[in-house]
Amino acid sequence: MTEEVVVTGFGVHTAFGRGAQAVRDGVFAGVPAFAAATRFDPTPYRTPMTAAAPGEPVLREVLHDCAHDAVTMAGLNRGAQAAVLVGSAGDWTAVTRFWREREETGLADSVPAHLAQGLADRLGLHGRRLAFTNACVASASALIHGWRLVSSGWAPAAVCAGAYLVEEENHAKFDSGRALAKDGAVRPFSAGRSGLLLGDGVAVLVLESARTARERGARVLARFTGWGIASDAYHVAKPHPEGRGMAAAARQALNRAGLSTVDYVNAHGTGTPLNDSAETNGLRSVLGPSTVVSSTKGTTGHMLEASGAVEFVISLLALLDGVVPPTANYFAPDPACDLDYVTEGPRKADLRQVLSLNAAFGGMNTAIVLEHA
Amino acid sequence: MTLRVRSSAKVDGPVDLPAVPGFIESTFNPLVHHVATNCLAGQDIPGDRLAVVLGSLVGDCTTTDLASRLLVQGQVHNALLFMQATANAVLGYLSREFDITGPLLALSTMDGMDDELLDTAELLLADPGLDAVLVLGVELVPTERAAHALSLLPATAPRHDLAIALLLERHPEEP
Repeated sequence: MTEEVVVTGFGVHTAFGRGAQAVRDGVFAGVPAFAAATRFDPTPYRTPMTAAAPGEPVLREVLHDCAHDAVTMAGLNRGAQAAVLVGSAGDWTAVTRFWREREETGLADSVPAHLAQGLADRLGLHGRRLAFTNACVASASALIHGWRLVSSGWAPAAVCAGAYLVEEENHAKFDSGRALAKDGAVRPFSAGRSGLLLGDGVAVLVLESARTARERGARVLARFTGWGIASDAYHVAKPHPEGRGMAAAARQALNRAGLSTVDYVNAHGTGTPLNDSAETNGLRSVLGPSTVVSSTKGTTGHMLEASGAVEFVISLLALLDGVVPPTANYFAPDPACDLDYVTEGPRKADLRQVLSLNAAFGGMNTAIVLEHA
Repeated sequence: MTLRVRSSAKVDGPVDLPAVPGFIESTFNPLVHHVATNCLAGQDIPGDRLAVVLGSLVGDCTTTDLASRLLVQGQVHNALLFMQATANAVLGYLSREFDITGPLLALSTMDGMDDELLDTAELLLADPGLDAVLVLGVELVPTERAAHALSLLPATAPRHDLAIALLLERHPEEP
């Protein structure tokens, strides 16, 4: 027997600040959050631009704040049985501080599993505690693992998270790989797109079985009805040009949900030349040429391990509000990207199903279907 | 569900590992590649029905810390080091080599890695779309930073690099 999996709570932090309203005011309004970095000296790098909230927030604290918001919304109390699954590579600032200053404060959070354990302890939840470290599909993988645990009855609930805050280590690495946008703007699916920029992202979701949600009297925000995971088996760094793995993941997710189409796709859409054309090809092969797609990374930046969880929240808000968030910074059509990218601004729509896609280095792809409660 | 070990491989102690093209500086990726290829050799499993799960508490600390030391010394980053610091790199390499198009996962836990990897394999194999799961466990002798971090946790650092691979499937005689 399998349990239906539903969403009953969320918390979110982006460069626009904490909470859903900040996402509505920034992401759904199509406002890019990019500015010159202030958390580190960006002068050695080709671009100074990132999408970061003001100040120097601590990853663990932001994660705990978002988790507090999520479990409060869900009404999940201390002592409950719930898995805690966090998509994160750990706190990179602790690594840098160690080598720069021999500072050990917060060093334990450089171990990803410690973030998951610390979150479970903070929330007083009992169950397995795991960190997913597979880069840009890490938190999507955590959410899918949470689905598996709840659906199979292994756990009555799962608190699934993703956490990344802008810092110098990854900015330097993406800069060295010449992956950062040269013109200071992320332009998903647009002609002239030149790369990604990093952005703050932390999100926490509460998943549980529909049965326990009913028994607890919890408000169901959406149904988590499908998912897929597939690999390209093509290249260590480049996506398959036809989006083979992405298409396979999307097909799995639709099949699991019993759907042949969806009303909106929140794409991975990094703004890199290779990703966006590959993703377009994969999507066209599964959903056809009239698919409504947007990438919200033109506003938030690329949140690395947190992308799946934050974009799950964005997809959830799209369902709840009946609004498709736009693709920001779109400049001009690229013949290799020929879908409907919602470039004119936010679009009102009666959304019943949303597909959220993510991809990662190494050819990993995830797809998640959310449906109206 | 009862799991059956279809094949296994292990490195526990000093050993000359074959180089893996494109991977430098750290033993992490050669260890993963060595045990994985030994485990998968001669196995006939469709790539879309095989999942891979890699577990490591601190991951490739050698590459992570080398890159960080270069950063604080003001040296230009080597993009190769970025690629190698995430487990995705070697998992992607393996997926191409063996045409694995199923799920690729990387985990970190403090609650008993062995049990968690086996539980994850069992959970994955509840999916009728999968026939087998390649489970990989890898830990390196910690770097100075990783050793300091581990000293703050209820965790034990290995004295030498180690890696293990198990290819698991559902027991065929299970009702």
